[in-house]
Amino acid sequence: MFFGVLCLSACRKDVNPETPIKDSSLTGTSVDVSAISGKTGKLFVLNEGQMGSNSASLDFLRLDDGLYVTGAFKKMNPDVGAGLGDVGNDIAVKGNEAWIVVNNSGLVEVISATNERESAAITIPSPRFIAFDDTYAYVTSYAGAYINYDGNWNVTDSSNPKGKVYRIAIQNREVKGSVEVGYQPEGIAVYGGKLYVANSGGFSSSLAPDYAYDKTVSVIDAATFKVTKTLTLTDNLQRVYSDGNGNIYVTSFGIYGKVPSSIWRINAGDGDKVSKIADNVSVSAISGDTVYWIGSEDGTWKGNTCRNGVKGSFSINLDGVNPYGLAVLDKDVIFVSDAGDYVNPGTVNMFVGGSKKWSVTAGICPGHFAIY
Amino acid sequence: MQSISIAVISLIVSVSGSPVAQEADTLEASAVFSVKYRPVVRAAEEVYLGGGVTAPARVSDVIRRFTGVQLKDYGGVGGLKTVNVRSLGSEHTGIFLDGIQVDNAQNMQVDLGRFSTDGIGRVSLFNGQKSRRLQTAKEYASGTAIHLDSSVPELPDGCAGRVRVRGGSFGTINPSVGWDKRLGPVILSTSAEFMLSGGRYRYRFFDTTLVRENGDIRSLRAEARLFGRTRGGDWRLRLYGYGSERGFPGPVIRRATGFPFSAERQADQDMFLQGGWNQEWHPRFATSVKFKYSNNYTHYNTHAEKNPMAMPYDVHYRQQSGYLSLAHSYIPAGSWSVDLSCDIQHNSLASDAGYFVTPRRTSFTGVLAARFACEKFRAAAHLAYTGAWDRFKNPDAGGWSRRNTYRDSWIPSVSLFYKPLEWLEADAYAKRSYRLPSFNDLYYTRIGNSSLVPESALQFGADIRASFKGWEIRISPYYNRVSDKIVALPTASQFRWTMLNIGTVDITGLDAKAGGSLKVGSVNLTAVGRYTFQLALDHSDPDGLTYGNQSPYIPRHSGGVELEARWKVLCFSWSSTFTGVRWSRTANIPDYCIKPWTVSDASVSIHLKHLVAEVAIGNIFNRQYQIVQGYPMPGTSVMLSLEYNW
Repeated sequence: MFFGVLCLSACRKDVNPETPIKDSSLTGTSVDVSAISGKTGKLFVLNEGQMGSNSASLDFLRLDDGLYVTGAFKKMNPDVGAGLGDVGNDIAVKGNEAWIVVNNSGLVEVISATNERESAAITIPSPRFIAFDDTYAYVTSYAGAYINYDGNWNVTDSSNPKGKVYRIAIQNREVKGSVEVGYQPEGIAVYGGKLYVANSGGFSSSLAPDYAYDKTVSVIDAATFKVTKTLTLTDNLQRVYSDGNGNIYVTSFGIYGKVPSSIWRINAGDGDKVSKIADNVSVSAISGDTVYWIGSEDGTWKGNTCRNGVKGSFSINLDGVNPYGLAVLDKDVIFVSDAGDYVNPGTVNMFVGGSKKWSVTAGICPGHFAIY
Repeated sequence: MQSISIAVISLIVSVSGSPVAQEADTLEASAVFSVKYRPVVRAAEEVYLGGGVTAPARVSDVIRRFTGVQLKDYGGVGGLKTVNVRSLGSEHTGIFLDGIQVDNAQNMQVDLGRFSTDGIGRVSLFNGQKSRRLQTAKEYASGTAIHLDSSVPELPDGCAGRVRVRGGSFGTINPSVGWDKRLGPVILSTSAEFMLSGGRYRYRFFDTTLVRENGDIRSLRAEARLFGRTRGGDWRLRLYGYGSERGFPGPVIRRATGFPFSAERQADQDMFLQGGWNQEWHPRFATSVKFKYSNNYTHYNTHAEKNPMAMPYDVHYRQQSGYLSLAHSYIPAGSWSVDLSCDIQHNSLASDAGYFVTPRRTSFTGVLAARFACEKFRAAAHLAYTGAWDRFKNPDAGGWSRRNTYRDSWIPSVSLFYKPLEWLEADAYAKRSYRLPSFNDLYYTRIGNSSLVPESALQFGADIRASFKGWEIRISPYYNRVSDKIVALPTASQFRWTMLNIGTVDITGLDAKAGGSLKVGSVNLTAVGRYTFQLALDHSDPDGLTYGNQSPYIPRHSGGVELEARWKVLCFSWSSTFTGVRWSRTANIPDYCIKPWTVSDASVSIHLKHLVAEVAIGNIFNRQYQIVQGYPMPGTSVMLSLEYNW
């Protein structure tokens, strides 16, 4: 065991041999973090940017001293001239690294969570969301049947727009195969040796009128890396969260004017039994074993929770913030982002006990959070 | 590069007065004729195209040097080129071909890069209100206007022809032929033009040099025009066909190696038939009838099978429009004239896109205009009314809907002209105009908002001109306010966008222009300098983050210099254009700052009796620059042109 740890840290050094530049020299905005005293680490904020303008960016809030830094990727990686890329779609922390899915750049960026230095940029066509087990990172991708990977990326002609899940070895960042899932897969979560992938069918509005939204969750066995089951929920599925206790939560955007947005539960301990929890879900996040969401009901924003299939609520006075992203540090400390007019920088807002503490300017469309 | 000579010629012409005005002055009933022919205010810019290879190939090349005009250029031969005059937005600029608007109800963007200068005799820009007799009602209804007027061939031998070839950088070859013939009282003018361009060019992207791909274009234009005279009148007819197939190279972004930026292709087939008849029934009464039918087909495909990052989208659109205009003009007293013009138009858009809402629009525009003109003073007042009935077929609702579908607006304007001294003149205008929401604004799949009201533009401007011995100086201050600006915004549900009337922009600016000509020995030298200062500030929301910031893509300072030297059969010209610091977003922060640029072009041409040849060098210092963020412009290019005419 001791030997293993030694080896791991040695390997890590080999991967990233250059002396780390400290991000403590970065300047930013100081905000009040007295409500979260005792916590160290960071809250990463991924700004999606506007598609086609290469304006994805990474911000972070240092939890111990309350410094909010914008554009951290660009500041810490001046050698990556083009910056983070186009359309940041997901961010997740694994160990001491953060993995950032940059959708329209076709890249998964791996950075040090301590100093934001780039350690790898992995090619994945049209990547969407990411999840991990101990060995692999799993990335959902819209570009499925158009693409074949045999060491090189080969674009093949196909009329089948089904998506894929790509598997990347965490150790050496190599793409290790893919599996076809449903249409335009989005969120993904790992539980008990299985991957749960939400299929949206989000291109349906632009394709032929008889092409409908996808309603399914693909369940993949991680060991064989094959789809073993397809669960039917509702139209236009989006995010997937695992609480680590056998509950998988899936959100849906619904269909505008027809089907309301909603959140569903898959009970992995009960043969993947599917049940609907609630309607009206705008933004959602998981913290520990509880899933949190904010939705608009009859024109007012309400905070709801679900733990082990039991519904609850939390009070939040959004105070004019139009929620675009959500992060929950604990039940009392909640971050809500606002995308503003979607083409200019938005804001990140901290709520303590349901009321707004502060608001800070982020990048364009701050939509995704990760806690390190 | 080639337009220098044209611009200089225009300046000289405008100094000595327009040919029409000169003609009118020689006539006896000068009071009546001054009302008849003189525009109340002068064009802000007016370029006479002599035709031939030394005219710029595209109308966009003429307009990009105009004072106060921002040409939004996505780069390359096939890239979209739209014009924004005095920061009002391209939707407020009407493009008129022989008085008939070239419109696009789908998105209100007219691509000026597609317009050939072949057969165009004059390009003019009006910031205020153009006011002449017998205008169509639509000519009174747009905020600012660019007028393209046909040249009528002069055929002393009864017949003329020309063969022209241009070609050079980017793998461009552009042959054209023209043939004109007098058929009794009627003149027939025909022309055809083919263009092929590979569209490849090198550009810098941070520390690498890349080549622009998928920017190729093929296009074919063919048209026939007829010009005829009646007793006291004239008529013209134009049949136009255009087909093109092009790639869009896409924005330059960070992208994984092995994947293209874009594989998008678009094919267009456009045709129109338009005509007009002006008739003077009596020295005091005249009418004009104009009509147009147009049919535009577009096939757009993102080719996701070649670019896995693209959304698969393969869609066809067909836009049709029918238009009829009737104008009357009456001269009740020597220096007065009164006009009444009415236009009717019908637009439709069909598509096979998923969940497509099929829109139709019938619009009416009516104008009452009064004009007074004497030697030193002219004045005009206009009141236009425009109303549009929309209906749309909603596949979800299963039928035609007429909800929220009548929009109307009143468009008043006044113009004054005063010439206190022989060398000094001034004009001023005030106008309030509106632009209707486009079909995309209203009905775009799941984004459109059918309750939009028209976006309004309030404009005030003045123009002071002083001229002496062939030199002229113009100073033109202005103030514009755009309100109820149509902006795309998300709804309470973040994934549903909608269009709203929320923005307000205040624009304060100053255009200045000076130029003239000089003869040194046997060399004729001409020079023009232009400068524009513009503050286009966001005043939408006093609590907003971007309140008081400069509008995207509007430089505070811009300008240019054009020089020309003519010696015997040789002509040398030089042009430099400067655009100051801009931002790609209303958030004026360093991340979105676009560097200033200066680009210089030069050309040399030789003019023989039947032969004209030109070498033109674009971007002579190989400056790397972007007009639209993410769309690099080409470096140095060379174009050779040769024309033989008989």
